[in-house]
Amino acid sequence: MSKDVFTDATIMSGDRSDDDAIVVMDNVYKRFKDFEALKKVNFKVGRQEVVVVIGPSGSGKSTLIRCINRLEEHDDGRIFVDGTELTQDIRNIQEIRKETGMVFQNFNLFPHLSILTNVAMGPRQVRRMPKATAEALALELLTRVKIPEQADKYPSQLSGGQQQRVAIARALAMKPKVMLFDEPTSALDPEMINEVLDVIKELARDGMTMVVVTHEMGFAREVADRVVFMADGEIVEVGTPEQLFDHPKEERTKQFLSQIL
Amino acid sequence: MTWVRRNLFRSVGDSLLTLVFGALALYVLWGVIEFVFITGRWEIIQVNLKLLLVGRFPEELLWLVSGSLMALGFWVAAAGGVAKHTSEKPPSVGAKIWNGIQRFGLLAGVGILLIVLSADWDSVALGALIVAAIVAGRLVALARNKIGALSRIPGWVWQPLLAVAPITLIALTLSQASIDLWGGFLINFYIAIISIFLSFPLGVLLALGRKSTLPIIRLISTTYIELIRGAPLFVLLLLAGVALEFFVPPDLSPGSIFRAVTVFTLFTAAYVAEVVRGGLQSISRGQTEAGKALGLSTTKLTALITLPQALRNVIPAQIGQFISLFKDTTLAGVALNVVDLLNVGTAVTKQDDFLGQGLIYEALAFVGLLFWVGAYFMSRESQRLEKRLGVGLR
Repeated sequence: MSKDVFTDATIMSGDRSDDDAIVVMDNVYKRFKDFEALKKVNFKVGRQEVVVVIGPSGSGKSTLIRCINRLEEHDDGRIFVDGTELTQDIRNIQEIRKETGMVFQNFNLFPHLSILTNVAMGPRQVRRMPKATAEALALELLTRVKIPEQADKYPSQLSGGQQQRVAIARALAMKPKVMLFDEPTSALDPEMINEVLDVIKELARDGMTMVVVTHEMGFAREVADRVVFMADGEIVEVGTPEQLFDHPKEERTKQFLSQIL
Repeated sequence: MTWVRRNLFRSVGDSLLTLVFGALALYVLWGVIEFVFITGRWEIIQVNLKLLLVGRFPEELLWLVSGSLMALGFWVAAAGGVAKHTSEKPPSVGAKIWNGIQRFGLLAGVGILLIVLSADWDSVALGALIVAAIVAGRLVALARNKIGALSRIPGWVWQPLLAVAPITLIALTLSQASIDLWGGFLINFYIAIISIFLSFPLGVLLALGRKSTLPIIRLISTTYIELIRGAPLFVLLLLAGVALEFFVPPDLSPGSIFRAVTVFTLFTAAYVAEVVRGGLQSISRGQTEAGKALGLSTTKLTALITLPQALRNVIPAQIGQFISLFKDTTLAGVALNVVDLLNVGTAVTKQDDFLGQGLIYEALAFVGLLFWVGAYFMSRESQRLEKRLGVGLR
């Protein structure tokens, strides 16, 4: 597998020009001690595009999206979000984090704050919105994820699915330009997976730009504009869901798909 | 009967144990009862009650102490009562009274005991006034819940507002009565309370300092914490008795109480720092990541997300630290010649009227009772606080 293949694949699949992209990763390299998590990855997300990232565990999927909002620091290469480059400059990092919303595998709601306060946290503390406005916005978003009645409860009083929907509302409250989902359904009981996926699908229909790391292949097929297959810290293959799932070109992709389907 | 059989006499071994320990318990209980009601000679406490409680505190300024007690009672009642019952049904009147007895019964009991011992009308009046202050505090708290205009005052204005009276009175007491004249339980109480209020913020700052990204701040905090924690409290107190002269000109030489408060504050802060740091470490990385992903600055992340959770997690250890501070104030009596409760307690047995009569047991029992009641009250209140703040804990 040579690097050109992936660059080609990116260009081939993207009919958008560079300036149109909201996230650009250029030769991004990242290592944890002796483990190479990302080996010169090139990756692009266009506006209003839904990109689903799949691959075996340890393939670098999570690291990829955690580099986009600097939860992990890349060692080499360049990352641009909405035209701003991620550098050591803390102001740039803050600026980019304002524009990116993230949803975690373990929800990570703030357990000492009510649901409403959790969702209002970003707009109130980062966007400096007045309390009443922020809480009105929070309530509106809770309605959007279909749990306005839980506003006064605390995270521990909610089911996993409900907590994850609150987490989505909390990220949306910042009105981000791109949403990053890091295995949003992996910690959920099976019967709760769909309620969360439905919310994400709705966001996709509304034109939200998203990067989703997931193991839900049916979901990937349904919402993805592009599917990215990663293995061993590299992007192995990129394509539309039909191309990638039905006619995979790479041997590694075929092997992975045969294991999970 | 079935309960007795099941829990006390289930087998031969159980029965034997029950009998042995039952007999032992009865024996000890009888000893205590005999001492308290029959053989104990409590005149020594009765005669010296004022000395034990406030030392040689000037009579004409005693109203400051009484006033401080009233203000504290008012403050606790008014500030503590503002939380509303959210979800569950409100408790019945009976449950409320029972709850009140559980919380304050012991304190009230000791109050009544002191009044009975002092056997004068002034202390009855003072008791009544303190109760009145507490009732007034409750009414203010209720009014805040009921009256719209009051409930709109935000907490950060309201709580300090309530604290104005007690703090003024405590400050007045400190400035008015010459500190050398203080003594007895008053000293232990004030040293403990002031050291607690000063050491807590200092400890939190040290904990944050030890986790700071700036190496110099980290170094200073770590050095401070490890130095203080490596030294015995008693040695530090002895040292404070002489060493402060090196730093302060002799004519400004601070009094023993000042020295004691300084040592207790600096000492306890180091322990608070480690407890809080432990609390900070118990917060999962996901919490920090979620805050960062929202775009919170490091300061806001600490102030709003990690620190509140950390502090809540360490309440038991924290209160434990303060309870031992409260009891350790007796060390100041020994190390710095502060005329504290313990010193007064041992001194009164050497008065002409009581010398050589072996009344040290009575004196120490009284000293122990006051400390135990104080420490037990703190412990109970911390459990309550923990439960109340436990709402929504994962």
